Amino acid sequence: MLHNLLASPVFAALAQHGDAAAHAPEAHATTAVLGAMRHAPSYFLLIALLPFLTFVLSGLCAAFRVKSKLPAWLTVASLAGSFLLTLKLFLTYFTGTDTAAVHVYGFEWLSFAFQNAGEKAFVSNFAFYIDSLTTLWMLFVTGLATLIALYSSEYMSADLGSGYNRYFAAFNLFVFSMSCLVMADNLLLLFLGWEGVGLCSYLLIGYFYKRPAAVAAAKKAFIMNRIGDLGLLTAIFTVFVVFGTVEYEKLFPMIAAGVDGAGNPISGGWVVKLIPLLLVMGAFGKSAQLFLYTWLPDAMEGPTPVSALIHAATMVTAGVFLIARMYPLFMADPSHTVLSVVAWGGAITALFAATIGMAYYDIKRVMGYSTVSQLGYMFAGLGVLGSAGGVFHVFTHAFFKATLFLCCGAVMHGFAGQLDLRKLSGVMKMKGWLICGLAMVVGCLNLAGFPFTAGFFSKDMILAQAFSTPCTLSGEHASGIAGAPFIGWILLLTAGMTAYYTFRVFFRVFLGPKEFEPGDEVHGHDDHAHDGHAHDGHGHDHGHAPAPAGHEHGKDHHGSHGDFHPHAPGWAMNFVMATCALLSLAAVAVYFIHTPGSHAHGGWVATMVGNSPAHVEAPHGGTFLGMDPHKVMYWVSGVVGGIGIMLAAVFQLFGRKHAATAPADKLFGVIPGLKSLHTAANSKWYVDEIYDFLIVRPLWVLSHIFHLIDQYIVDGIVNLFGAIPRLAGKAIRPLQSGETHGYALGMAGGLAVLLVIVIALSL
Amino acid sequence: MNSLATLTLAQEGFPAAMSHLTLAHYLIVSAIMFVIGLVGFLTRRNLIIMFLCTELMFQAAGLALVAFGRYHMDFSGQTFVIFILTVAAAEAAMALALVVLLFRRKESLSAEEWKEMQG
Amino acid sequence: MILAALILIPLLGALLVAISPSGSSRSIAMMATLVALAVSVVAAVKFDYGQAQAMQFLAAVPWFDQLGITLSVGVDSIAGLLILLTTLLGPICIACSTTAITDRQKTYYAWFLVLQAAMTGVFASRDLILFYVCFEFTLIPMFILISLWGSTNRKRAAIKFFLYTFTGSVIALAGLVYVAWHHANMSGGVWTFDILTLKDSADNMSPTAQGWVLLALMAGFAVKVPLFPVHTWLPLAHTEAPTAGSVILAGVLLKLGTYAILRFVFAFAPAALVEYAPLLATLSIVGIIYGGLICWVQTDIKKLVAYSSVAHLGFCMLGMFALNGSGVLGAVLYMVNHGLSTGALFLLIGMVYERYHTRSMKELGGLASKMPVWSTFMVFFVMASVGLPGLNGFVSEFLCMKGAFQASSAWGSGVWNSVGGPLPGATVGNLGPWYAFIAGTGVIIAAMYLLYMTGKIVWGTLVEPAGHGHGHGTDAAHGSNGSHSTLPVDLNRREILTLVPLAALCLFLGVYPKPVINALTPAVSQAVRTVHENAATTRVPLATTHTPTGAEAHP
Repeated sequence: MLHNLLASPVFAALAQHGDAAAHAPEAHATTAVLGAMRHAPSYFLLIALLPFLTFVLSGLCAAFRVKSKLPAWLTVASLAGSFLLTLKLFLTYFTGTDTAAVHVYGFEWLSFAFQNAGEKAFVSNFAFYIDSLTTLWMLFVTGLATLIALYSSEYMSADLGSGYNRYFAAFNLFVFSMSCLVMADNLLLLFLGWEGVGLCSYLLIGYFYKRPAAVAAAKKAFIMNRIGDLGLLTAIFTVFVVFGTVEYEKLFPMIAAGVDGAGNPISGGWVVKLIPLLLVMGAFGKSAQLFLYTWLPDAMEGPTPVSALIHAATMVTAGVFLIARMYPLFMADPSHTVLSVVAWGGAITALFAATIGMAYYDIKRVMGYSTVSQLGYMFAGLGVLGSAGGVFHVFTHAFFKATLFLCCGAVMHGFAGQLDLRKLSGVMKMKGWLICGLAMVVGCLNLAGFPFTAGFFSKDMILAQAFSTPCTLSGEHASGIAGAPFIGWILLLTAGMTAYYTFRVFFRVFLGPKEFEPGDEVHGHDDHAHDGHAHDGHGHDHGHAPAPAGHEHGKDHHGSHGDFHPHAPGWAMNFVMATCALLSLAAVAVYFIHTPGSHAHGGWVATMVGNSPAHVEAPHGGTFLGMDPHKVMYWVSGVVGGIGIMLAAVFQLFGRKHAATAPADKLFGVIPGLKSLHTAANSKWYVDEIYDFLIVRPLWVLSHIFHLIDQYIVDGIVNLFGAIPRLAGKAIRPLQSGETHGYALGMAGGLAVLLVIVIALSL
Repeated sequence: MNSLATLTLAQEGFPAAMSHLTLAHYLIVSAIMFVIGLVGFLTRRNLIIMFLCTELMFQAAGLALVAFGRYHMDFSGQTFVIFILTVAAAEAAMALALVVLLFRRKESLSAEEWKEMQG
Repeated sequence: MILAALILIPLLGALLVAISPSGSSRSIAMMATLVALAVSVVAAVKFDYGQAQAMQFLAAVPWFDQLGITLSVGVDSIAGLLILLTTLLGPICIACSTTAITDRQKTYYAWFLVLQAAMTGVFASRDLILFYVCFEFTLIPMFILISLWGSTNRKRAAIKFFLYTFTGSVIALAGLVYVAWHHANMSGGVWTFDILTLKDSADNMSPTAQGWVLLALMAGFAVKVPLFPVHTWLPLAHTEAPTAGSVILAGVLLKLGTYAILRFVFAFAPAALVEYAPLLATLSIVGIIYGGLICWVQTDIKKLVAYSSVAHLGFCMLGMFALNGSGVLGAVLYMVNHGLSTGALFLLIGMVYERYHTRSMKELGGLASKMPVWSTFMVFFVMASVGLPGLNGFVSEFLCMKGAFQASSAWGSGVWNSVGGPLPGATVGNLGPWYAFIAGTGVIIAAMYLLYMTGKIVWGTLVEPAGHGHGHGTDAAHGSNGSHSTLPVDLNRREILTLVPLAALCLFLGVYPKPVINALTPAVSQAVRTVHENAATTRVPLATTHTPTGAEAHP
């Protein structure tokens, strides 16, 4: 009966708990992290379930073809609820001296045990493991999600009644998945969130599904993420094989004690190298690092609020979160092999993406490449044993990059999809654009690492750590990272480049002479917010097209001041941009906040990280040109950032008379080779083409070959077997003459032959 | 051990006048009938004649059965022949009906007219 | 008795359809399948989950006493679950045939019900011969469904389907009879075809003989699954079959093969199975990647989904050949989950085909703007098929891969030796991490081909076949042109109703698979244990017979 059905999960759960108690090694807790697990009431599950509920409601709105802003308000309300709950969680559990993790139990998801089958029971519940790292992440995820939902309510209003409901459904599903990812109490639930955010990313990048580019970008994002996901999945399998569990609650004590599930020491073995390496594969896929980065710039095809939330602030930092979450396992390897990989991967990506950012003209994609580059910073921070710096940069970056994207979105929204920085100039001086411009300044200063901004301090923490982490890999104090100072130099160079490309965008678009050319998205007054619907012929049916002027430049080129009027952002967008800008300014405050009893360098974020398993005693020993990096780096990075901004001013602002031409362009004529370098960088160093040539094309050809093999060889053999009886039949068919006498003669002849044989045998 | 030729059929109250007839006689008659039928079937083209020839072969087999049955004093042979006669009568009716139908189709009784079963 | 009822209800329905006028055949068939569904749900409630590994609802009628053949039925939780799947798909298939099947309705529905009875019989039978009769009998209705209501190339597809699978099964019959003969020999000439009795005697068989039995059984069942390289009948049959036929083919008929492998190969050739598991798993992996890549270059969406079955069933087989709890549990769940999600994809393709009379990706595109409801379902089931966590496909795919990953006695030794002894999560088995990892690339390929299809058909600018376009009305009232006049542009209520149960189950099995997993674990655990115990008693020189010390010690 039914109660049997219900009785067995309880049994399984009890058995599992008993088992864990027997197997879990003594936890040699060095920090408060591994203290007694606390339990929180299950209403904290609502942090994730509220967005899920709104997802369902938005889905119903779509089903009933709701044409109002109802889903937006539902979303804002529920996300605000999630944020408040997270805040309550933080205030209740992580402001005192006990910072042990909090457990919130939901229900059994994928758990089973086999009696007597020689197999370890598997437990993966829908439950949350919340420590200070999780709380930190959830605070900015839910907070920003609320703000961006508010921004979207206005930004997406052109799609009211068509895509509006769909947009908010996916938006909520994203927040739900992200919450699962961050708060999961086991690696498999993390994987659910991990793939879930991938799905939402797919749906939202492909939101403007009539544009082939958006569809292709969505597909690319999903598939490239899946490559990384395979690494994560394999890591989960390996963790289970080695430790016999995927629950953090049991995993972390074992790692802290340096043993695997059978009690053998793991340090120095393959475990601490292979599992982290697989995790890095997953993290690099999700966070668009190294050769897996190409999907992120393409992901800018999605609506801008999505780019701000998913592809700048939250989802793409999931890789950083994964590494921070599993940091103890990385640290269990005394030679820091995989951390070196992380550091170098991050540094190379940071530099590489910055070069492309310097050459690109599409401002939203510049921001996209900037995100790739900054993510590289975060990974480098984690890699050089500065988990606090890495996470702090995630935190500050979330605010200022969201601000930047929202400002770019406002520009795009206002200028009919125009994103080319050669066609926009002096936007800040136009009517109604002041808030946007000021927010942009704040974002740019942060990104460029201008002194005393939040971005400055977080970047500084990473840079200083990169220089102070020693390079010693072997011997008694083997606690370094391979080639650590070079990572520092690469990052410093990148910092300068970042400042340059950031202000290149700002100086060209927001300052300079007032001049613009609207995008090719043509809309009427009530229908001006499409994020680039132009190529599908959708926009041509309604609205009035600006008079085409300047035919000599091609039919897409319109006069700057036709009858197009830029559409300044409304209250919701302005409010959110202003709030985000203020928050990214305010983020600097947390650098100086110290919770009682904590002395961690880096303020509140560092304290939060330090109270979690991601805690690391930052190593010392390296120097910056003989000086203590932690002291001089403030000055150095400030100067480097300043130089970048100055260069941008010189090359992009001073003496610029038109939107299209900047003083920098003259350089291309002067210095030979620079032009082709610029072209190559602007073509993303042809990485997509290389992929296409090396992987996609061969695979495509191989698939066709397989298809031919299947048709003509595998199936051919089958048909051959089928043909044998048919051919044999054809061969003896003439024997059937159809004449009665023929058959009769055959029978008589056969009889005669038989008789002869019988007689011959009996003789 | 008695050979076929010397064993007479007259063992239990068989008429004396017939007692010199052995199994071999019956079998020889049966064989002759069968061969006549076979040769007729192979050489003639008329459907009715061919049908008569098959009947002849049929009855040859029946004769052999009766002879063997009597020889072994096992009356299954005779019983079987009674069945065969009945079935043959029904079959003859069917066959002649078919022949009539075939004749109507082609206005000919020749078997060569029919070779639709050619492979 | 309840199982006999489940077989007889569709048969009675078929009889009724045959003797009543053509106009009412659909409603009779619908009633019959709904009653069968209700009965099976009652059975599921009455099932004793505490003894899920034991055969329940036993019933037996003697048939050929001299040979020990009886008409005996009974199910454990594995068979029960598959019967539920069969009875669930029944009404859905009838519903989706409403507008698709317009000629010879009587024949169609009668044969369809016969097919359902035969499929139920396969899962319910406890007797080898009864099993085999039902197993083969499924071919006849399916042959008729394909050859009468299929598309252009239907004759060839039907014949190939029939001959290919039939040839295989005849060889399997030889293997099954050999097992019974062997048992009769061992037990002094007493013949029996009772599966449970035969199971106990298989361990007396020599490894060589087991090898031959394995070969014979796989010849029949691997074709049905289908395992690479004996899969080529499948794309053809799927593509040509009518929608309901494809749904049943993917949903249940393929599962006959996997179920038979789990029942018979596990029981009758354990030692050989342990020995050949790596080879069979390799074939499964080849199927996953090869099948997946072929999907990628298809232009016919139905053929694409058909080939995806080859890849998907490869995962199922990989889990099964892991021969451990996770793997086999995953395989059984995979049977159900593939039935739901791929079945639904075939339904969706059928719905588009009814409207546009084409399945070519070149002639269709961007349907999201015209058929939003259809597109929503399409994306949902594509995601279920891709294996997105939270939906059903993931649970089974994860378990299959996990099973293969763990199943290696090499864990904790050789390259995998960290410092000491075996690892807690490892299980007995002959596969290992590489099998799971390489199969895992199939997950990426699955995303490639399914999203490629979605990108073409669902997203993008609207593409419709020439001459279609505006002629098609905007709703049911206006769209009166030609044969598809009754269908609106987007899905109608009946079509949505056929999809909703499947979607709900996909979601339920992904979010809360616990009840199903709990019901399955005793049966799976018994199957796995028998394989390893029997393989050990056969004394094949294998390095896999030790159990890791870290293994679970349950009371």
